[in-house]
Amino acid sequence: MSSVNQPRTEPTGTPLLEADGVSIQFGGLRALTDFHLSIRKGDLQGLIGPNGAGKTTAFNVLTGVYKPSSGEVRVAGKRVNGWLPHQINRLGLARTFQNIRLFRALTALDNVKVACRAQAALQVEGVHLGAKVRGAMHNYRDWWRAFLLTPGFMAEERELTQQAERLLEVMGLLHRRDEEARNLPYGEQRRLEIARALGTRPKVLLLDEPAAGMNTREKADLMVLIRKLRDDFSLGILVIEHDMKLVMGICEQITVLDHGETIARGAPEQVRSDRKVIEAYLGDNYLETHGGAA
Amino acid sequence: MESSSAPSAMPGVPPVLRGILPVLLVLPVLALFAWSMEQSPFATYLLSIMGVNVILAVSLNIVNGMTGQFSIGHAGFMAVGAYVAGVLGLALKEIAISGLPVAMSDQIFLFVALLAGGVVAAACGFLVGLPSLRLRGDYLAIVTLGFGEIIRVVVQNTEAFGRSLGLSGIPQTAGLGMVGFWVFLVVLVARRIAGSSHGRSLWAIREDEVAAEAMGVDTTGYKVRSFVISAFFAGVAGGLFAHFVPIINPGSFTFVKSMEIVVMVVLGGLGSTTGAIVAAVFLTLLPEMLRSAFTSMGAEGSLAQKVDQIRMPVYGLLLVALMLLRPQGLFGMREIWEVLPRWLPRRRKGIQ
Repeated sequence: MSSVNQPRTEPTGTPLLEADGVSIQFGGLRALTDFHLSIRKGDLQGLIGPNGAGKTTAFNVLTGVYKPSSGEVRVAGKRVNGWLPHQINRLGLARTFQNIRLFRALTALDNVKVACRAQAALQVEGVHLGAKVRGAMHNYRDWWRAFLLTPGFMAEERELTQQAERLLEVMGLLHRRDEEARNLPYGEQRRLEIARALGTRPKVLLLDEPAAGMNTREKADLMVLIRKLRDDFSLGILVIEHDMKLVMGICEQITVLDHGETIARGAPEQVRSDRKVIEAYLGDNYLETHGGAA
Repeated sequence: MESSSAPSAMPGVPPVLRGILPVLLVLPVLALFAWSMEQSPFATYLLSIMGVNVILAVSLNIVNGMTGQFSIGHAGFMAVGAYVAGVLGLALKEIAISGLPVAMSDQIFLFVALLAGGVVAAACGFLVGLPSLRLRGDYLAIVTLGFGEIIRVVVQNTEAFGRSLGLSGIPQTAGLGMVGFWVFLVVLVARRIAGSSHGRSLWAIREDEVAAEAMGVDTTGYKVRSFVISAFFAGVAGGLFAHFVPIINPGSFTFVKSMEIVVMVVLGGLGSTTGAIVAAVFLTLLPEMLRSAFTSMGAEGSLAQKVDQIRMPVYGLLLVALMLLRPQGLFGMREIWEVLPRWLPRRRKGIQ
């Protein structure tokens, strides 16, 4: 197992995604407290914890769905507190969803093309009025090109199709190209979501329970696939997962959450024998009755 | 699902022309048609009303169908266009461009007035849409409903717009040619949106806004843009309307009119352009069909004249029947050629 855990591409460079003391509060409920995280290129990290521990909340804060109450999220070195999800996405942070959220009535190809297109569109930097007006003018001009079917626009469309087809091929879904997303089997929907996320050309990929509902065989395939993606697309990957075998099998570093607090962090072996982690997963009196670390 | 609109089906056409070729082709056909219909004023009137309704339904379908938002103030934008174009038409009534035949300079002025009406309506759409489209869910419905009423009340109390009496004496220059041209244009625009990557992003917003946002789609921007385009064509439809009916007054642009357009879109199938067209044509003809049916049944006088009042309950019944029998509308999200019987030649699914 330890040879598997050796990263093939050594994590390098500055952190692409950083959470620095991030807390989030809903009314009186502290959903996440003082959360730290740092993901660099080539990282493969896990985020685990019992139900309701705040894992998905952490994802939502990182991707901009929620605004942190305190602390700072940095993507590619930029502070993104209060940014909209699509702006954060364009800095190179893509995600999948725990409960699959595909565009159900669109074909597999179109699902990926939506993501590819958004990435190709102009990124409006800055929040002052001038930049906004310039961005709006550009966007309306872009629609004109679609109405007039300019050669440049047609070429872009073909380019998008090819890009999306390549991604479908990587995820083994090319034969489902023209199938509506809602008609795909469950496992393929999960893979399509990953393909769609890759369409935004991310630097960091967040996977929210990618193995949920998969059988053992599919899980094994998924483990291979995740590692392959990390290497082929030179990504940093953060995985939320309930399946211990999968997390322990592929992640080099694991963060454990419980009630919004980080209770452990480290290599899989380290985390597995951590007293607090065992308490969180198996209850307070497990250790008393069984004695010592598991 | 939607795929790009057949650009490869035009081999040998220089790429520069591809975009505007359909427009150039349709113009002489429309001119011929308008000329041939000159002898029958009632048919001309009915076809014009039909055309205006088609423009309204197809443009509303861009917001309600493709983007999945719910706007119920389309008559408000129509009113803006109608009054702006109407006032402009009145102001330009006595002027003609020298060196051109009067009919042609009339059409040019009409076109300018329509554009002005459309642009002002689009600006209103932008102002209404920008704050309300940031929110999710039903807020847009409430805001657009309020907008429609505000416009009506403002018009009712403005001297320049003739208060409750309305504007009369607007030059009756909008012929079938002009109406047909705009019908054609709105359908072309709607189809090209649906087939382009912009349309795909709109579909994505309709399907799952959170996911679309997470995939880098600027959802607010896209919603505002679709709303602005939709409002523009509603304004143009209003301008056309003002240029062929003898009088426009606030009573033509009430909430009932907005609902009529929504019914057309829902009946045709949310997201289906051809569905919106078919439904608009059908619902325009429905009162006339009822009228002639009543007359032929011998209900002279009272009942036949009350068709306009009977219309609304009939719409209601129609909707109830539709929701029970075919909740997705006539064509659902598809276009007519995708639901036609199999023995008809079909357009191939997917992209070349």
